[in-house]
This record gives sequence, structure tokens and C-alpha cells, in this order.
Amino acid sequence: MSYFRLRDWLAAPQPIERLALLRIAIPLATLGFLSSRLVHADHWLSPVGFHVPDLGGDWRQPLYLPPMPVGAAWGVAVAIVLSGLCLSAGLATQTAAALFALLVGYTTLADRLEAFTVNKLAPVLTLALLVGPSGARYGVDAWLRRRRDPSAPLPTELEGGVVRFFQLFLCTMYSASGIAKARGDWLTHQVLWTHLHDQYQTQVAWLIMGVLPGWIWWALQWLVLAFEVGAPLWFALPWTRTPALVVGLGMHLMIGLMFGPVVWFALLMGAILLACFTPERWIARLAELVRLGRSP
Amino acid sequence: MPRLVAIEGAAPWAPLWLRRTAGVAGAIYLLSIWLGAAGCGLPDQVLPRPLRFFTQVAELFPRAAPDAIEWRARGWRCDVGQFEEVDVRPFFPIRRDDKENQFDRAMFFYHHDRPVLEALDAYLVDAQNRARPDQRIGGVMLLSLRVPIPPLGEPGPREHWIATGEYPPSVTRKYWYSTASLARQDRCQAAP
Repeated sequence: MSYFRLRDWLAAPQPIERLALLRIAIPLATLGFLSSRLVHADHWLSPVGFHVPDLGGDWRQPLYLPPMPVGAAWGVAVAIVLSGLCLSAGLATQTAAALFALLVGYTTLADRLEAFTVNKLAPVLTLALLVGPSGARYGVDAWLRRRRDPSAPLPTELEGGVVRFFQLFLCTMYSASGIAKARGDWLTHQVLWTHLHDQYQTQVAWLIMGVLPGWIWWALQWLVLAFEVGAPLWFALPWTRTPALVVGLGMHLMIGLMFGPVVWFALLMGAILLACFTPERWIARLAELVRLGRSP
Repeated sequence: MPRLVAIEGAAPWAPLWLRRTAGVAGAIYLLSIWLGAAGCGLPDQVLPRPLRFFTQVAELFPRAAPDAIEWRARGWRCDVGQFEEVDVRPFFPIRRDDKENQFDRAMFFYHHDRPVLEALDAYLVDAQNRARPDQRIGGVMLLSLRVPIPPLGEPGPREHWIATGEYPPSVTRKYWYSTASLARQDRCQAAP
């Protein structure tokens, strides 16, 4: 692909609804994940809870940040909730995004023990929302602008860069995860089954395991591996994009139902998948339904 | 039926230089995720560790679990002079019933690291003696239980927390840390 074709592809207009869904869903899924930490902010961030001591450069501790006073811990927790909700609602969007990214990034580094994929991803994904015109539609900022100037045209598209980042992020994430699985045990051992037998196991997982025959787990494992390793191809080709969307959503649904706390990761990835690869004609139809629903 | 609106672009608020810088940073971020998961050491060499940390996100369940691991603690009871299981879940209230709590995570990452295990020892003794003053302890043993995973297609009983003593002999125990006996005595003799 030449530089000019790449530039045109990156800049190609995208429906504004894609970015609006990302702005709504990413902070909500992150807050959902963090909720069990936020309600115990003192144990999470202050000396009330257990904290790994300064290990002076240990590879598992990328940066030592000492615990903060109890009051400050609760302040950070409240600020995370407020900035996340404001970002999701599109209120003071840029400020909220900057604050949310900064605070979630800080807390992720501050407690290595409570750092998981969702709160490692959230700061970067939120910074991407910050760079784009995330508050241009479907939020409080957009509503206030509309009240000030009712004659101003409503934006329906945006320059594609930010949405392209999220699309490339998904393909990278799936592909990298698939390669890591192939380099691990997924080609030779039954992996899915073994991970359903610890504290992540949900009631649904246990019921499903009791119903499905053993060979299904091999079929599901191969399906996941093929989907993830081939994701860049499946999402690049127009005729495989929608089937890949359905398979991806199905995979995240199963993860959410069967792996307990991983439900927030499943929601985050499922929402990004929907926002990035829902066919444009479906989005146009949905936007029209929303508009008609608002009409007197 | 009226059309929605004329197609209109949302104006970016960020200046061009910032969007370009963000684009380059985004490309480095995605490349680092991919290379790291593919086993290339380049991101480790190039990125500062706090940044590298945020790119280590894609290696999700790559290996089969040979067993289900339960992390447990036994406390040295000052009154009876022996080790008994301590239910540590109330002392780690964040996701206390699954492996995302701080005790399980600390044991998972640091079961070979003496300084962390000593810090955990001090935290557990303090927490137990404050919460259950009638069951004071002077030290702990930290251990893992390896619970066999049933064969494919035979799910076994529903997973739930049970006391260490209720596990069958097929569940093996491995001890990773024990408070020195002198330290246990000193703590037990110290005023509550």
C-alpha cells in the first residue's frame, strides 16, 4: 500500500456513531471493572490494605508508587467515577477524558496486584478518545452546543483517524492474542476446559460444561484460535467482516457468561467490536430510528 | 420520509501536530502489543518499563492449567501453640472470593519472593489479631493447593471455597513460607 493510499484510508470519513459508542462504552466498562476496587478504595490505594513493598527494580513492579493517605484514596476513587461518568455522558468531554486516563493509569501502576487487561487498556483507549472529537454528538456537550445554536448542522461523520486506531487496535489485539495462544498450548492441549475449573467459574459455565460433549471444547478452541490469528484478514475483507463480527461477539458473550469477573473485559471488547465493525448501513438505519424517536 | 441531516464532518479540536504525534504514538503502542505477544524482545529493550507495562495486554490464557491453584494461609495460634487455617478473605475485600483479590495475586506473582512474603506475613498477623483478638496468631504458613482438573467432558462439582482440611488427599499442598519460630514466639508474647 502506497503512502497516499494509506493516508486516504486512515482519513476516510467514518460515521460519528462509531466514536459516540466508543465514548459511551469504554468508560462504563472500565468503571464496571473498577467498581469492586472503587468501593474498597482504602484497601486498594492506601496503607489500610496490603501493598507490595518497593522491590527496587523488580520486573513485576514497573514503577513503585507508595500508598496514599486514606482521604486521598477516596478522593481519587470519587474523581475516577465522576470523570468516567462525565466522559460517557459527553460532558466536558476532553477534560473528563484527560482526567480519567490519568487517574486510571495512576491507579493501575500504583497497585500491580489489581492491574488487569481492562485497566491497562483503559488509559490508552481513553487518550484516543481525548484526541478525537468524541463530544461532537450524542452527549451533553453536543446538546449544549445545539441549544446555543439550533441552526448549526449536526455532524454525521468524522475524519477516520481515531476510529481507524480502534479498528487497528482490535485486529492487533486479537492477532497478538492468537499468536500468543498458538505459541502456548492451544495447538496441543485442551486449554479452555482447564481454565473453567478455578474461581473464575460461573454457574453458567458449570451448567454448560455439564451439557456439552467433550469434543465441543476442541471445536470452540479451534474456532477462537482461527478467529484471533486471522483477525486482520477477517476484518480487512468486506465479505468476511460481518461473519467475523458475529463470531467475535459470540466469543465475548461466552467469555462474559463463563469467566466471572472477566465479564468487564468481554463487555469492553464487545462494545469496541460493535462500534468499529458494525456495517455502515446498520448504523445509518439505527441513527435514523434514534432521530425519528426524538421527533415530536 | 425526511433525510437525517446533510453530511457534515465533526471538526477535530486537536491541532494537526498533536493528532500526528498521537498517530505515531498509537502505531508504536500497537506494534509493541503485537511484538510482545509474538515473543520479540524489542519492546522490552526500547520502552521504559512503566510504558511497557501498558502494552502487556494480549497474552490471554496462552497455557493450559495443569491444576486449579488455591492459595491459603495457616496461622500459628498463640493460645494452642499450633498452626490452623486462617480464612484470609475478609482481610482482602477486593474481589474476596476469586483469584483477583490481593492475597491470591500477591502469592501468584511473588511466592518465591521473601520480602513480599514477609510483608504479607506482617499484614496477615496484624489483620488477624485486630479482627479476631480471641484467636491471636504469631506467624503464618503460606501454601498452595493443587486441585486436579477433572477429565474433559466430566465437569465435577461446582467450584467454591472450602477449608483446606476438607480437600481430599489427591489435592497436594506446597508450602512456600513460614514465619521463623523465634519471631512467632516474640509476637505471641508481645502485648495485644
